[in-house]
Formats: sequence, structure tokens, C-alpha cells
Amino acid sequence: MITIDKLTKYYGSNRAVNNISFTINDNEILGFLGPNGAGKSTTMNMIAGYLPMTAGTVTIFGSDISKDPVAAKKNIGYLPEIPPVYPEMRVKEYLSFCAGLKRIRSSERKSEIIRVMKLLKIEDVQDKLIKNLSKGYKQRVGFAQALLGNPKFLILDEPTVGLDPNQVIEVRNIIKDLKKEHSVIFSSHILSEVSAVCDRVVIINKGDIKAVDTIENLEKKLGGSLTLHVKIKGDRIKASNVIEFIDGVDEIVSIDAEGNDFFSFAVKLKEDAGDDTKNAIMSELIGHGIQISEIYTEKPDLEAVFVDMINRSSDKHGLLELLEETPPEAEDGADSESDESEEKEGEE
Amino acid sequence: MFSIYKKELQSFFYTPFAYVITALFMFLFTIMFNNALGNLEQPVLQFTFPDIFYNVIFFFIFLIPILTMRTFADERKFGTEVLLMTSPVGVIQIILGKYLANLTVFLFMIAGSSFFPIFTYLNGTLVMSQLICAYIGFFAWGAMFIALGMLISSFTENSIIAAIIGEIIMFVFLFIDDFSRTDFIMQYPKLQSFLYAFAAQPRFAYFSQGFIRLSDLVFFLSAILICLSWNYIAIERRRWKRG
Repeated sequence: MITIDKLTKYYGSNRAVNNISFTINDNEILGFLGPNGAGKSTTMNMIAGYLPMTAGTVTIFGSDISKDPVAAKKNIGYLPEIPPVYPEMRVKEYLSFCAGLKRIRSSERKSEIIRVMKLLKIEDVQDKLIKNLSKGYKQRVGFAQALLGNPKFLILDEPTVGLDPNQVIEVRNIIKDLKKEHSVIFSSHILSEVSAVCDRVVIINKGDIKAVDTIENLEKKLGGSLTLHVKIKGDRIKASNVIEFIDGVDEIVSIDAEGNDFFSFAVKLKEDAGDDTKNAIMSELIGHGIQISEIYTEKPDLEAVFVDMINRSSDKHGLLELLEETPPEAEDGADSESDESEEKEGEE
Repeated sequence: MFSIYKKELQSFFYTPFAYVITALFMFLFTIMFNNALGNLEQPVLQFTFPDIFYNVIFFFIFLIPILTMRTFADERKFGTEVLLMTSPVGVIQIILGKYLANLTVFLFMIAGSSFFPIFTYLNGTLVMSQLICAYIGFFAWGAMFIALGMLISSFTENSIIAAIIGEIIMFVFLFIDDFSRTDFIMQYPKLQSFLYAFAAQPRFAYFSQGFIRLSDLVFFLSAILICLSWNYIAIERRRWKRG
């Protein structure tokens, strides 16, 4: 088990990682999710023992990374964001050097190198100079390096960046297979990837942990409620008044204007709401003379969870705030939408 | 440590690098050797290798930074420093592995230069004791400058800058004893003795005269140790200060 406890990193007076704690269990793939610049790579560098931490501890299978680095690092395979390859070396030479660095017994080195090359399908480039390889191949060579010696704990920093869709699927499958014998922490800013591969997710933003949970739980936590999308033609304020007072509607999450008189509403429904609410909204809207061009309900997905989590502090809730953001047409229709009105005048 | 040593050697010897730098070194040696032969006026041809070494060193300081410039700068540039630092190898071992590899290339260069004494030996007589002492002194001097060059390489990401700064600093060190004997510095005896303490040239002079003095060996050895320890500190310090 890997324990990360109260890990903090300051760059000068800038706080990059703030007091984060989580654990990675044996045979688990933990997704590490966050937007760019959230502190993912910094955290991973600290876990791998490359960057010293300002405060906190990282314990890898019982050895503290800062107190007993050599013992801790023996259990780590690390693929940094930029694959750490020497452009002047051949793939096989490079892997053999890495095997030496990781103190793999010389009798086992050859078979070990062949094993990882097979796993990542880089046997056909083994005699090429790394500088002549494509980004995807370099990435896979870097990955192969991390797998050498079969370390129990793998740290993969965006391992699928730069790969083509086929390779992405291959690499994901490799990561899934790794679960049998390894603990994996795997960072990404791509949501679908994390939900495809990981058991649990840590969501981080601006150095703070926003959530640590399984994907299903996160989806549930968001309310487990459906979101109803409805696209209407007609008066926006009238429509929103209608929608808001229907049973089963929790709140209107967003209203987007889409061209002439078309508005898309995203409506959060209450947990027990279902098709009845949808039907009620449809009939009420039509009853008020508002045309509906599109209506469908959507389950909350990881993306919604993610966006919600990272924006939590600056989130806008409720219709009032939304209306404040976009002033009613009655007041400024003449000014801000002057382009439109000019066109209309021209037509007339 | 051995794997780092081996990898560094590969990077020198699998590429033309080590051969080119040795060829360049031998070329410099040839010029000096030729000069020594050309300056002969006595009926009996007589010249000393230490003198040649002495002249070679002046050009030699341009080669050492080229040898050492990539040591740490390239690791940073390619992001492979992460690989070294996250593998179960200590920083001291990394530095020693790289230092030994650089020394090996240096020995290879020296071995190339042995062509000239051998040539002389076949066609005349050679004062062995002096030659051996000069070689020891030359090696010590080179070993010190390699440690210095590696230190400078760990300060920057750009190997060319590492080479240029290295050349400037080595140039200063080469002429520090001449500088300390200028009239201006002579006015301040304390400053003079301080500067003179850094001068490697007079120490090499003892070697070239056939003396192996403990104090000279200690001088070179301690300079190497200081540079390598500083190297260690520089690498660790950058890890802590990064960002």
C-alpha cells in the first residue's frame, strides 16, 4: 500500500500542492484527475522521489521516500510526462541501461527487456535510435522503462498523450492488465480515460483535493438526478418561469441562446423526478405557446462530476444569478443586440 | 554506478565524440611536438616532453569543457534527470559514475598522446622518470579540470553555455599565477598569496621537473573533491529550489 500523507509543496511562496492525503491500495488503479496546472505532475514527482516535498510524507510499501529513498525507489516504476529517453541511444541499449539502473540481475536482464518490449510492442524498433522514433513510440519506450523489473508500484503521468487512438486503447488495456500485480497511479486530464481504466479517482485542482472516491459514488454524490435539456423557440423569461414552477424541477442550471429566439435550457431535476416531469414540462411549454425543438434527459457523467468538482467555489447556482449575468432583453435589447435589430430594420 | 559509467562510455565511444576529441588532442600535440623539433639548434637533438605538455595544456583547456559540457546539461535538457533521480541510485553514485567515465575518455586521450614519446624512444633516448612524472601531473591537472567542468555543466541546461563558461573559468585558473605576479597584485602580498594558492601551474611545474610532491597531489585531490562535492550540492539544491 502507498500512503500519501499531508503532502504539501511550495515553489517559493507559490503553493502548488496543498496538504493532500490519500492512499493507493494493492492491485488498484487510482486515477489522478485535474485540469492542466492543477499540481498533478508536481505531486507525482514528489511521490516518485524526484522533487522533495515542503511537508508531508510518502510511504511506499513501508519505506519513506525521503528517509529511505533507495528502498522506496526499488518498488517504483515511473513514467514522467516527458518520456525520459536518451535520443542518442538505441531502444535496446536504453532499456538495458535502465535495467542496470534498476539493479536487475544481469542474468535476468535480457529476458526482462524482451518481456517489456513484447508488452509494449516495440520489438520492431529495438535497434533504432530513439531520436528517430515518433512521439508515440518514444512514449512507449518510456513506458517500457517504467515496467522494467516489474516494480510493485507504477506512477504513470499521462501515459497516453501523443498516442494514436489504436495505441491509446492498447495502452489502456496494458494498464488494466497491470492491476493484477501492481498498484498504479495514473494521471490524466481526459475524463473518459480515467473512467475507462480506474477503480477510484482523486480529483485535484489548484493543489487541493476536491474528491477521492469511486466513479460510481461520485456520480451518485452529484445527486444521482437527471439533467433535462430542452431547446425552445420563444420568450426566454416566460419559458424559464414555466419550467421553474413544474413539480420535480430542482433548478435551471444554464440557459444558452442559440440564434434567433432559440434557447437551450439545462434543467436539473429532483431525484425522484422521471418521465412525468418531462411530459409536464412539454405540455406546459406548448400550452404557453412556446415551441419545443428538442428535449432529452441525461444522466450525470464523470465529466459533469469533474467540472462540478473543480469549479465548486465559483459555481453559479440558481436562475437569479444567471439572469444577473445576462441582463434581460427588455433593457438592453436595443444596445447589445443592435446588430440583430439593424438586420431586422434592413429587412423591413 | 557501473551502469551509469557504462552508459556514459557508450555515449562517448559509440559516437565519434571520443575519437574526434582524441584526434584533436593529438593534433595539438603534433603541433607542439613539431615546434619543439623545429626549435632545436644544438647539434644533439634535445627537447623535453614536459615542455611540450606545458604548451599543450594551454590548448587543452579548450578541450576539457567540450568533454564535460554534456555531463549534466544534457540530462536536464532531455528530461532524463528524472530517470536517474527516481531510480534506486544515489546522487553521489551518479556523479562518480559520470566522473569516472569522463576520466576514462581523458585517459584514452592521454594514451593517444603516448605515440610521441614512443616515437622518440624508437629514434633516440628518453628520460623516463621525467616523462612519467609529467604524465602524472598532466593527469592530475586534467582530472581537476574535468571535475570543474562537470560542476559547471550541472549549473545549466545548455551544453554550449556550459562549455563556454567552463573555458573562461579554466582560462582564469590557468593564468591565475601570472596574474598574481603582476605589479598591481604584488602591492597586496596577502591577496597575492591568496590567489597563488589557487594556481595549478606552478604545481604542474614540479611534476614536469620530475618531482612528485605530496602537497601537489593533495592540492589536485582536494580540488577534485571540492568540485565533486559542490556538484552534489548543486544538483540537490536545484531539486529543492526548482519551480
